[in-house]
Amino acid sequence: MRALIDRKANGMTQERASRKKGSHTATVLSNVQAGECFWKLRFRFEGEAAQAFAGFRPGQFIQFDTSELAIPSIETIPVALRNGARRNVLLRRPFSFSDVTVESNVTTADLLYCIVGPASLRMTTLREGDTASIVGPLGNGFAVREGTRIALLVVGGMGLPPIRCLAKSLSVEHPDITAVAFIGSRTVNALPLEERPAVFEEDLSLSVPTFATLGVPSMVATDDGSAGHRGPVTECLSQWLQENADRPREEIVVYACGPERMLAAVARIANEKDIDCQVSMERRMACGIGLCQSCAIECRLADSDETIYKLCCQDGPVFDAREVVFGTDDA
Amino acid sequence: MSVEFAGLRLANPVFTASGTCGYADELADFMDVDALGGFITKSITLKPRKGNPTPRIVETDAGMLNAIGLANVGLERFVAEKLPVIARMKSAVFVNVAGTTIEEYVAVVERLAGEKALAGFELNISCPNVKKGGISFGTDPAQVEEITRAVKKACGSKVLIVKLAPAVTDISVTARAAVAGGADALSLINTFTAMVIDIETRRPVLTNRTGGLSGPAIKPIAVYLVNKVYREVAREARIPLLGLGGIRSAADAVEFLMAGATAVAVGTASFVEPDCAVQIVAGLRDYCARKKITRLAELTGSLDRPA
Repeated sequence: MRALIDRKANGMTQERASRKKGSHTATVLSNVQAGECFWKLRFRFEGEAAQAFAGFRPGQFIQFDTSELAIPSIETIPVALRNGARRNVLLRRPFSFSDVTVESNVTTADLLYCIVGPASLRMTTLREGDTASIVGPLGNGFAVREGTRIALLVVGGMGLPPIRCLAKSLSVEHPDITAVAFIGSRTVNALPLEERPAVFEEDLSLSVPTFATLGVPSMVATDDGSAGHRGPVTECLSQWLQENADRPREEIVVYACGPERMLAAVARIANEKDIDCQVSMERRMACGIGLCQSCAIECRLADSDETIYKLCCQDGPVFDAREVVFGTDDA
Repeated sequence: MSVEFAGLRLANPVFTASGTCGYADELADFMDVDALGGFITKSITLKPRKGNPTPRIVETDAGMLNAIGLANVGLERFVAEKLPVIARMKSAVFVNVAGTTIEEYVAVVERLAGEKALAGFELNISCPNVKKGGISFGTDPAQVEEITRAVKKACGSKVLIVKLAPAVTDISVTARAAVAGGADALSLINTFTAMVIDIETRRPVLTNRTGGLSGPAIKPIAVYLVNKVYREVAREARIPLLGLGGIRSAADAVEFLMAGATAVAVGTASFVEPDCAVQIVAGLRDYCARKKITRLAELTGSLDRPA
């Protein structure tokens, strides 16, 4: 029989306890279908939860527990989603925000979501006054480098929310930076725009209200030509860069969020012009806090042919586009 | 709440399971990691491993599949970066060791056996997500005995836990083999190999095709297998069991204890509630108070004792 080994205190407990983040309670202020393809959920956080947002950066995300939410009645569920609708939800789901307002003891945050499966389907049943459990904000958001004069914001479809959030933060915190938005989509109805302009201009204009109210001119590109420019949004970005070729490249930063194929194309354009580019990536995640290692992003090591996996949740979700090896995830 | 586990006195019987709690204090922002009875690191291999391409996970009904592929920093960086942090942790820390050859397992254990910060090792011979090693060691009783014996020799005075694969014809056979090889404790169960197919693309969802099923879906099977190994092997051999598989509440933990476990580990549930394990410690305390249980050892295997 071995001697019993006693493993006892050495006084770390209190220091750690003061760093505890944990899950927070969010109260629903509103939850409405805001467009053909998407819903808008507004949260309110108070006290400790509100303070967790003190250092919030656009592009950061939360992990949202939908497992205890009700399933909507079956006849209201789109036919294509009925198969999976009753499946139990176990894991939290990651979401970024389109708008965050941090006040002393209250934080409000807007989350735009599409119904794609059992978790988002359950979210539609949230009503004013309901509470929900979230962990976050998590990860690294967009960074504004010293010397930036021009921010080129590139959106693909549901990549809009964190870019909209960034546009707001730039207009409030960096009025000296000129922002321009390029908004791409398969078709205009797939864009999470709450207010639709009567006419989508073909060129940069203040026609898209969600950016116009921030003083950010924008242009829309759709694959099917249903609004704005017909073709990929990267054509608009390229054209802007060509027309503004005289601007010093050090003054320009590209910020992008959207499908990985779009991000890859944006990164290629930025790289050709040697312009800094930050991309917000997406992966299937279980924990969102670096434990499960599921959200791997293949990244280049500086001055090497070797690649490593970084974690979308912890090292990202915003990455320097130069380091990302795109196209390795087709989820 | 304290328990004796393979000669160690633990503050409580709740561990966090390998691969769900990082290398050291990654969960410290979310809970008091010193409130855990035990902590099992992510699998460490001799050389660093990148792991599998994504998608590495998919959610299922009441569970999830993972095919991470033993991604880890490797022994060298573990020693340099993680061990100093582990040295400051109060709970009993076990390093989960994986490899593709017996020599690799032994090399990792030999390097770490002298480290005061560690309570012992958990031998991962049941990972379903790597091409070589992993589960192939864990399903053949002769190999289980051989690798356990080799690693035990390298362990010095440290505790050796052998983690058993659940998908075998008779888990008691592999349990006996591990005990014969010198295991100080057994942990069970690891995940079940499983598959999810995307019917639109007609492809498996995971790049690895298959992944290990974990979460509440496997709990009743895990309880049964713990009870089976307790009755057929562990009770007589006086080998403690670390029970795991789908635990997310104190009630779940009590089931495992009653089935025959001396301690329990929380895995997938930590992904959902990062402080789940310490909540379970509190819940166990409440249960014991309500049932007037003074020693947790009373619960272990109580299913098979007259009340």
